[in-house]
Amino acid sequence: MWHLIVRNTVARRGRLALTLLAVLLGVTFVTGSLVLTDTSQRLLDDQFRTATAGVDLTVRDAAAFDSAMGVEVERDPLPPEVVDRVRAVPGVAAATPVVRGQGLLGVAGKTIVPAGPSLLLSWEPGPVGAFTLRAGRAPVAGDEVVVDAATARLHRIGLGAEVTVRAERTERLRVVGLAGFGPAEGLPNTTVALVALPAAQRLLALDRNASEIAVVAADGADAQRLRTAVSAALGSGYEVSSSRDVAASSAAAAKTQISYLQVMLFALAAAALLVGAFLIANTFSIVVTQRTRELAVLRAAGATGGQVMRSVLGEALLVGLAASAAGAGLGVACAAGLRDLAGAFGMTLPGGGLVVAPRTLVVAFAVGVGVTVLSALGPARRAASVAPVEAMRRASADGVTGRGTGRAGWGRTVAGAVLTALGVAGLSIVLAGPGSVVVLGEAAVSTVVGLALLGPAVSPGLVRLLGRPLGAAGVPGRLARESAARAPRRTSATALALAFGLALISFTTVLGTSIKDSTARSYTEVITADYVVESARNEMLGGLPAHAYHHVSELPQVAVASRLRYGHWKDGRSTEALTAVDPVTLPRVTSLHMVAGRLDAVAGGGVVLAANVARERHLKVGDTLAMTFSRTGTRRLPVVGLLRDRDAQALSTGYVISLDTFERNYREHVDASVFVKVADGVRDADARKAIERALGDAPTAQVRDQAAAVAGRNAMIDQVLGLVTALLMLTVLIALMGITNTLALSIIERTRELGLLRAVGMTGTQMRWMIRGEAVLVAALAIVAGIGLGVAFAAGTVTALGRTTEATLTLPVGPLLLVVAVAAVAGLLAGLLPARRAARLDVLTAIATT
Amino acid sequence: MTLTETPPRTDVAALARDVVKIYGRGDTAVRALDGATLSIPAGRFTAVMGPSGSGKSTLMHVLAGLDTVDEGQVLIGDTDLRRLSERQRTLLRREHVGFVFQSFNLLPTLTAAENIVLPLTLAGRRADQTWIDEIVAMLGLGDRLRHRPAELSGGQQQRVAVARALAARPRIVFADEPTGNLDSRAGEALLGFLRHAARELGQTIVMVTHDANAAAYADQVVHFADGRVAGLTRNEEK
Repeated sequence: MWHLIVRNTVARRGRLALTLLAVLLGVTFVTGSLVLTDTSQRLLDDQFRTATAGVDLTVRDAAAFDSAMGVEVERDPLPPEVVDRVRAVPGVAAATPVVRGQGLLGVAGKTIVPAGPSLLLSWEPGPVGAFTLRAGRAPVAGDEVVVDAATARLHRIGLGAEVTVRAERTERLRVVGLAGFGPAEGLPNTTVALVALPAAQRLLALDRNASEIAVVAADGADAQRLRTAVSAALGSGYEVSSSRDVAASSAAAAKTQISYLQVMLFALAAAALLVGAFLIANTFSIVVTQRTRELAVLRAAGATGGQVMRSVLGEALLVGLAASAAGAGLGVACAAGLRDLAGAFGMTLPGGGLVVAPRTLVVAFAVGVGVTVLSALGPARRAASVAPVEAMRRASADGVTGRGTGRAGWGRTVAGAVLTALGVAGLSIVLAGPGSVVVLGEAAVSTVVGLALLGPAVSPGLVRLLGRPLGAAGVPGRLARESAARAPRRTSATALALAFGLALISFTTVLGTSIKDSTARSYTEVITADYVVESARNEMLGGLPAHAYHHVSELPQVAVASRLRYGHWKDGRSTEALTAVDPVTLPRVTSLHMVAGRLDAVAGGGVVLAANVARERHLKVGDTLAMTFSRTGTRRLPVVGLLRDRDAQALSTGYVISLDTFERNYREHVDASVFVKVADGVRDADARKAIERALGDAPTAQVRDQAAAVAGRNAMIDQVLGLVTALLMLTVLIALMGITNTLALSIIERTRELGLLRAVGMTGTQMRWMIRGEAVLVAALAIVAGIGLGVAFAAGTVTALGRTTEATLTLPVGPLLLVVAVAAVAGLLAGLLPARRAARLDVLTAIATT
Repeated sequence: MTLTETPPRTDVAALARDVVKIYGRGDTAVRALDGATLSIPAGRFTAVMGPSGSGKSTLMHVLAGLDTVDEGQVLIGDTDLRRLSERQRTLLRREHVGFVFQSFNLLPTLTAAENIVLPLTLAGRRADQTWIDEIVAMLGLGDRLRHRPAELSGGQQQRVAVARALAARPRIVFADEPTGNLDSRAGEALLGFLRHAARELGQTIVMVTHDANAAAYADQVVHFADGRVAGLTRNEEK
């Protein structure tokens, strides 16, 4: 039996080749995603483990939580006497104050802005310090610095060179050494400046304080017991943790971004596999139909239904295995490319050797084989039901193409109609008002499944309708339309696969554009400032150094400067963000509408909520909200006002506190935005020049007008949109292979018909256009269904989102037309190969075929 | 029944001279045609009869421009087929040759009427409606025109095929075992139509068959064996 299966599969390799390719691409995607995220995570683990390898305990100021949304919190510095108290604990061999902060490196008048952080650290020799000298010597004097070898190589910094370090203070330092990190030349996407402890304290304005204390236990001392002892000696104001825990927690924070990317990649891989599954089911179904007689002969020769079914499933298994093996290999090879692709869209991942976990290969094979075999299950069952008498019957041309009617067809159609109706009803409920995103998700699944079932019943009508222009273009066009219409199951399965990909693309495009437009609208309406100063780096908290605000606000050309800060806080286990504002100056650069209470009341230590947040939390003015801050723990803040939703969106969060309150509860001191109103009588351009001059020592600061500020806010959405669309194109590619495959198979089936056409005078050119026309028609069906679905559910999502944030639907006509054009052209391309094959059919052989 | 216009008549509608056609190579080579020489008189119903494997179908394919020859000469009218490209042969077939096959003559997606005018529409030519009406009436297909092939009986399907073959007023019509899949009554009716087309409409018809009863309807019977003509019988007009 096995022997027969292998021989069959090999004999039909041409027909199965595209199926194999579809599975292969899906598996490649899955494998690539796994390898990429594994690699990134492993690199981060290694990095943080190396950083703390020589240290047993780390002492830091106590914090309610270590990190939020992938950003590690800043803690208060530790005074020198804490170091002495730690040293006094028995069992402590060494306690070293360590300073870490941010410091931009500048060389030859140019500031280096890496994709990752710009670290400024106090130099410590091993085992406490993780950096080792590659050249030169350690920094000793206050004007000496060691930079990481990777940065030095990239920016041609040699020993003896002068570099500028911009932290709380800006100083020019001399490079006396180059350092590596473990086996690496540096940290990925990071610049590192290492200076002597007093220099680090001076540059970061820490006086004689330290960021943390690295503790090395005496030989033979138990780390766990020592931790308890140190903790007891310092009291609850300080946090004593094992260095391994600190490393794990830091790595976990850094991995947050990667996990977002991982979720996205897996979702896209799932979409690609789903489209592939359509293609596989279709191919096997066609192959089984074409082999009806052969299967019947097998049955007549004594094979049981089970054996026939197993033979089809066996073929699927072989295809799945081959595709998984190739896909796993290709996926590993593509992981680096995927990293570059993510990088091109602004998601920087660490570089380094690829990690191929055994789990990755298991998943690759499970997914590849699983999807293939499951998709072939339906066709296999149909193969098993072929009656032996079929062998005696002459295969009739009409019988081969099947009409999908009969009782099973009716049940399917009714089920499909019901599911589609339920989906449409769900969507309508959401559009009409009360439904949530969850309802919408259920409606989407119901509609897609419903349409898949309903497809064969409705596709002939749709094809004839869409094919009108083709019919007008002559007989080849009419024949193309009719052959698409007469194999409804096949046409609808092929079209749906493409429709699914197109639906996802148009969904993300419409949703992304709507969110961007809504952001732009609320921003331009609410923010009345002439200019806004923001950091060019897309950091979560903004990352604008505090002195930028002071320089700008002192300018005579500036009437008002008002700054915003962002902070994270926790509410139970969920992380939220807040905006800190200056209640006195903010109203002069914005046009805010309070629903209740007053904005200036936040000066008293209260919080203003967005109206929808208050509604969700059942809070009103006069109630209190418990907020947990990393630095000060849980505080109960009185609710002093409610802000219109659109205005809250313009300020980026639904919680607004005063800068004074922020100061009390946060250690972070970077600004997100500085809004500037130009003084009366000063030309905007002059003011802008003055501001830019004043920002000379803040190289990452940018002066933005409203359009640029909106673009900055939407940059993240653009990046995600770009990456998702690029990856969804893969899904579309698989679907197009489906069109090619289906057409190629149906040409085999229609050999006699094509031969007849050639005999009575159809030219090769006409035949090519006929087949291409059919391909374009299938694509057109997919375009109508896909873009319809995508836009409808994007509209639903925007409506559902609109209840909690400011969001209205925008239809990006240009991009949607582009999707239509790309899909139509791709349909044409998909038809090229089958068309060529059809035109090359030998007339005589074609006629002689039975 | 009178003809308003007679198709261009030469004495010879098609000609094969010393034609050799070899399939395969080396030891497995088969000489399907081995020096076949034959002329098809215009306006007559010619039957080519021979046992299976005699090469009669190959002869028809070669005469119809469906296949090329290895040696010898094939003419349709004055056109030497050897000089034509594949595309030119297609166009020649469309203009000057009609076909009736044993089965699967019709496109399942087109109605009978559409099938009849298919060669004309493929060529972008307008159908001569009077002519079409005439042959449809002759073949008794008037009430079947809007049906699809699946809704027609075997005999009706073959009659639609004959109508299609005649629609473009080709110089010559080839029929390959046209009654092979029909019961004897439908078969006889079809043969009657073919003879009628030759006698009354002056249509040149070549029919390949292994059935002597069918061949008896023709004006002349060419006996074919081992890749060449073995003899010729002229039938008396019935």
